Amino acid sequence: MIKIENVSMKFNLEIEKDFSMKQAFVDLFTKKKKKNKKNDDFWALKNVSFTVDKGEVVGLIGSNGAGKSTLLKVVSGVMKPTSGKVTVQGVISPMIELGAGFDGNLTARENIYLNGAILGYSKKFLDSKFEEIVDFSELKDFLDVPVKNFSSGMTAKLAFSIATVVNPEILIVDEILSVGDIKFQEKSKHKMMEMIKGGTTVLYVSHSLDSIKDLCTKVVWLEHGKVVKIGDTEKVCDAYYKDQMK
Amino acid sequence: MTKTKAIFSNFKRYWFLMTQLISRDFKVKYKRSVLGILWSLLNPILTMAVMAVVFSQMFRFKVEGVNYIVYLMTGIIMFNYFSQASNMAMTSVVENFPLINKVYIPKYIFPIAKCLFIGIDFLLTLIPWLIIIALSYLGLGDYTCHFNWYYLLLPYIFFCMFLFTLGIGFFLSCVSVFLRDVWHIYGIVLTLWNYLTPVFYSIEILPAKLQTLMHFNPMYQFLTAARSIVVYGQRPSFTTLGILGLIGVVTLAIGAFVFKKKQDKFIYYV
Repeated sequence: MIKIENVSMKFNLEIEKDFSMKQAFVDLFTKKKKKNKKNDDFWALKNVSFTVDKGEVVGLIGSNGAGKSTLLKVVSGVMKPTSGKVTVQGVISPMIELGAGFDGNLTARENIYLNGAILGYSKKFLDSKFEEIVDFSELKDFLDVPVKNFSSGMTAKLAFSIATVVNPEILIVDEILSVGDIKFQEKSKHKMMEMIKGGTTVLYVSHSLDSIKDLCTKVVWLEHGKVVKIGDTEKVCDAYYKDQMK
Repeated sequence: MTKTKAIFSNFKRYWFLMTQLISRDFKVKYKRSVLGILWSLLNPILTMAVMAVVFSQMFRFKVEGVNYIVYLMTGIIMFNYFSQASNMAMTSVVENFPLINKVYIPKYIFPIAKCLFIGIDFLLTLIPWLIIIALSYLGLGDYTCHFNWYYLLLPYIFFCMFLFTLGIGFFLSCVSVFLRDVWHIYGIVLTLWNYLTPVFYSIEILPAKLQTLMHFNPMYQFLTAARSIVVYGQRPSFTTLGILGLIGVVTLAIGAFVFKKKQDKFIYYV
């Protein structure tokens, strides 16, 4: 179960501006007017609240920059919200970005263990699932090749296979269905469906309304960091589609 | 109590990741080298040989009444551990930003993994170091250094130094997230620190004022304690041993406290 209560996330854009001696020196002479500090606060999320019950598949939709990925990062614990509270019951498997921590210098075999450890798998688990990962990735012949020699498709296949080998209690997915060649895309889609339909709690971000309608029991529509609409999949998706096509 | 328990269970959970990070460091370090991990052994031997020749033959450094080569080596391996480990721990968090930005991992893992990684190297350097001490029986360096029961105290001294290094590593890795200048500053600080620690000289050659000040240098304390066992065959006083433990624990506590306070802010500075 995921419970999101009044979550707000503020980014201070001032941080991104490089302060340096050189800049300070230049500023001395150019006499720039000090900018209004308030403009530097950017709210990626504002008072977002909703719950995902056990076994529910919740879709997140919204245009680019609406705060979907930020929300996923907050839920998976990568970021702490500026205010509000996120309660998560169960082990999360975050599939926000695949292949986190892949080291190009290491072989596929070594990366399976490294990446697996990063995703929180135990050694025992990886040992027992090793064959399954290799089979699914279709990379049996390249196990001892450093990953930096892989094509991007091969790397993605390997990453996907490691990430989906678990049966997590909570699955967080950020549009990763389309990796690899056509054959692998179909296979991975099937695998995702299997995981989602296997009774896990899912938070799913996608721009494909078809797959959202296909999978989700509930949809949350985010825009500019705020929840626009929550509820029935069909209704919210249609409202969103109309709004986008205006 | 529950908090300590939580820390331990967390540690257990991420131990596998820690070993993976350390083994990655080893694999990447020795990739495409014929001798591989043997370099971890060879490198310190050769460095020691060079240092021994430079300081004892060329500069004719001496410390009265002791085996200078053993004296020098003890200082070098200990100070090298500190400087390498603290330096790598310092950059570890920033280097792993791509990871921190994607998956939740407790960030303290990175400095610890680096300090352990260099720690394994350090343990390997103890082998040639012990061989040199054994060779002193055969006349290497004029005076014989006798193995004695006090050697059992060495692991404790090294462990205190490890805690101290880790504390410094926590502090520096945290500060350098916000202020990358620290990387450059610390390089200079380390050079200065190296010269201000009696690694290749004896404290007696310094002016009296500096000698008193030296006692506030933690690395001096670690080096002196280890040398009093190895070079002089004497047990460090219990006060000294207590002070070493205190230095380690307090430094680690401060470093960990600062790190813990600031770690949630790291993500904004990616």
